[in-house]
Amino acid sequence: MAKIIEYFSIATSNIGKRKLRSWLTMIGIFIGIAAVVGLISLGQGLEKAIETEFQKLGSDKIIVTPAGNVYNSIPDEDTPGKLKEDDEKVINRVRGVKTVALTNFKVSEIKWGKEDIGFYFVSGNPTKNDESSLTQEVYAVTIIEGRYLKPDDKFKAVVGHDYATSTAFKKNLHPGSTIIINNQEFEVVGVKDKLGNEGDDRTVIIPRDTYFELFDTKEYPDTIIVQVNKEFTPDDVAESIKKELRKERNQKEGQEDFAVKTLQEYLTSFLTILNIVQTVLVGIAAISLLVGAIGIMNTMYTTVLERRKEIGIMKAIGARNSDILFLFMIESGFLGLVGGVIGVLLGLGFSNLVASIGRQILGTKLLMATSPWYLIVGALAFAFIIGMLSGVLPAKQAASLKPVETLRYE
Amino acid sequence: MYKIMASKLNRRIKEYFMLAVANLFHRKLRSWLTMIGIFIGIAAVVSLISLGQGMKDAIFSQFSALGSDNIIIQAKQATFGPPGSSAANPLTKDDRNIIKKSRGVELVATRLIKAVQLDFDKKTFFRYAATFPDDSDGRNFLIERFKFKIEKGRFIEIGEKNKIIVGQNYAAEPVLDRELRVGDKLSINKKEVEIVGILAKTGNPQYDRTIFLNEEALREIINLEDRIDIIIAKTSNEEDVEQVVETIKKNLRNHRNVEKDKEDFEVQTSQQLISSLGTILTIVTAVLVGIAMISIIVGGVGITNTMYTAVLERTKEIGIMKAIGARNSDVLLIFLMESGLLGIVGGIIGVCLGIALSKTVEIIAANALGSELIKASFPPVLIIGALLFSFLVGAISGTSPAIQAAKLKPVDALNQE
Repeated sequence: MAKIIEYFSIATSNIGKRKLRSWLTMIGIFIGIAAVVGLISLGQGLEKAIETEFQKLGSDKIIVTPAGNVYNSIPDEDTPGKLKEDDEKVINRVRGVKTVALTNFKVSEIKWGKEDIGFYFVSGNPTKNDESSLTQEVYAVTIIEGRYLKPDDKFKAVVGHDYATSTAFKKNLHPGSTIIINNQEFEVVGVKDKLGNEGDDRTVIIPRDTYFELFDTKEYPDTIIVQVNKEFTPDDVAESIKKELRKERNQKEGQEDFAVKTLQEYLTSFLTILNIVQTVLVGIAAISLLVGAIGIMNTMYTTVLERRKEIGIMKAIGARNSDILFLFMIESGFLGLVGGVIGVLLGLGFSNLVASIGRQILGTKLLMATSPWYLIVGALAFAFIIGMLSGVLPAKQAASLKPVETLRYE
Repeated sequence: MYKIMASKLNRRIKEYFMLAVANLFHRKLRSWLTMIGIFIGIAAVVSLISLGQGMKDAIFSQFSALGSDNIIIQAKQATFGPPGSSAANPLTKDDRNIIKKSRGVELVATRLIKAVQLDFDKKTFFRYAATFPDDSDGRNFLIERFKFKIEKGRFIEIGEKNKIIVGQNYAAEPVLDRELRVGDKLSINKKEVEIVGILAKTGNPQYDRTIFLNEEALREIINLEDRIDIIIAKTSNEEDVEQVVETIKKNLRNHRNVEKDKEDFEVQTSQQLISSLGTILTIVTAVLVGIAMISIIVGGVGITNTMYTAVLERTKEIGIMKAIGARNSDVLLIFLMESGLLGIVGGIIGVCLGIALSKTVEIIAANALGSELIKASFPPVLIIGALLFSFLVGAISGTSPAIQAAKLKPVDALNQE
């Protein structure tokens, strides 16, 4: 133990002696570590933010959609698979199902004020108490002005956040304003909180009964939202729903014209994509770590060359090969570690900066910096190991030097 | 006089260059390690740019199949999904006639693109169906522009109802137990149709997974009334495309009774469509290249380090050079050249590696994914730019050590050690 401490103090004093070179070497490492730590911190933050959002929606939800929205496009009148109003009854009979809510949406012409016109989504949502709160939960509706739709509301609308705030519009809407959807006047009763994407923030929600009066489309739901009873697992209930709907439609497995997915499954497939993107970015950033490691190797070779005489003397007074090897490896490991400490600090500083810019300028809560202990410890350990590994070859060279030859050198 | 000065300068630079090469060789291991730092970074940047550019080219050439003199008309819709899928007020056959009669329009082709349910061999799956117009002008125009070729069987003929052709990927559709062949019968939304032809590979995975049939045939399968998803108008040769766009907009506004800037439809030239796609790709490439650039910075720091060490080791040499008459500028130039050389040699190796890497990715993509969109492209600008850049990185990284060397006092330098 005492020996290790001694090695450490020799290493630090040597690094201190060649200050400029050590600094430059460490810059190489800490730039790389900072980039990797910053990216992972933001990536993990994004994942965590999405997961919390999903937890809020509740993991006890199942979504039934028509099959055939190829490449994840949104279902529309021509989507080959169809859900039916009767599906509600079938699903309600399945064991473990608590509430079933049917929703519809389509793009429509929306006009207000004198000049504003746009083509955005109109969502027909149920207004009955249980079903209403279930849809609000799943679509993450929070009311910031006025109120949500009530059971006996007819031509009333809840508008997305952009309508109340966006400067892109000439007139902004607030409770009491009038909005014209598909040439029909609606009274705005509430404004939704911002979700951060244009699609959601420009959606208008109207009662589902009114939706069918307005659009004169055939009555079939675009999405069925199912809430599961606490004591049942969503996966099992989803299986039973699939089975019942198949039976109802006389379809065999593999021939369904509908899709049943738990919210958890949506989350998982989304996180998988996020992980791939993160891996690619971190992988490219890690190239700079490789370059930094080569810098350490270079510095250590130079050090060995400069200290040949010193190594010779150490060996002459009894240092073993393993002592020399260890000494140099600790020195290079130390270069890595110090670079790592600075890099972690810089990286976390960077990710927090990005997150606060994201919050203030973009107004998104999804950009979030995390600093889990395993990221910090992992980055430090990784930096130390990179340093050590880069030092292996130079240290071996130093250890294998013959005392007689080195003393004769220069 | 000028000539003599020039040739003198030339000789001096040549001499410095030889000196720099000799010095780099002297410290072979260190020079190599320093250059590795640079070439890894350059290789990463070159291959990323090359793939990004290649993908852009590939997409452009797919799109330019549409020709720059063509105009695409769609109904306004939400941003996702195929054309027409979520349109508020879809285009209709009337709109088509209005467009066809507009000044400067030579011919129009209409298309439907719909998701359909396919049943074959007790398997159900969902794919896009796209249509060919039922008039020979529009139809020939589309086939020619998209360069559709038949590999097996034949094209569908005008007016044929229960016949379809399928994209190349159906020859090996993973959902199915066997490949689809000419003569196979499958059903679209429960209506039986027969495959009469298989398209040759288009290189665009979307098209290769699509089935094609006549417009009227699809209208019989899905009740679409007279809706149309997308209209492509070809302008006559002598007309100004922008002018025709305005004419079409005006005519459609009148016909659909909407005011200017409140249109429920979009009229774009194919050029505009391409450039918006190009912008997205450029942004993605820029982010990736930006991150890869970090490693070049680290490599540059490595050069700085190596050069400081070289100055330190050669202090005595610098002292002697100065004592026998070398000026500060000579010493500066010698060291700058040395570091620039480190950069550019690293750059050359990096460019070669980068090219090899992106070519490998291209070959893997073509074989494993069957995608011809991932292509490596090496415009001269990229190669020359990368080399110039690496030389600059070397020279800039060497600046501060070189200044230090140039400033050394001969007496102090000789005095050292």
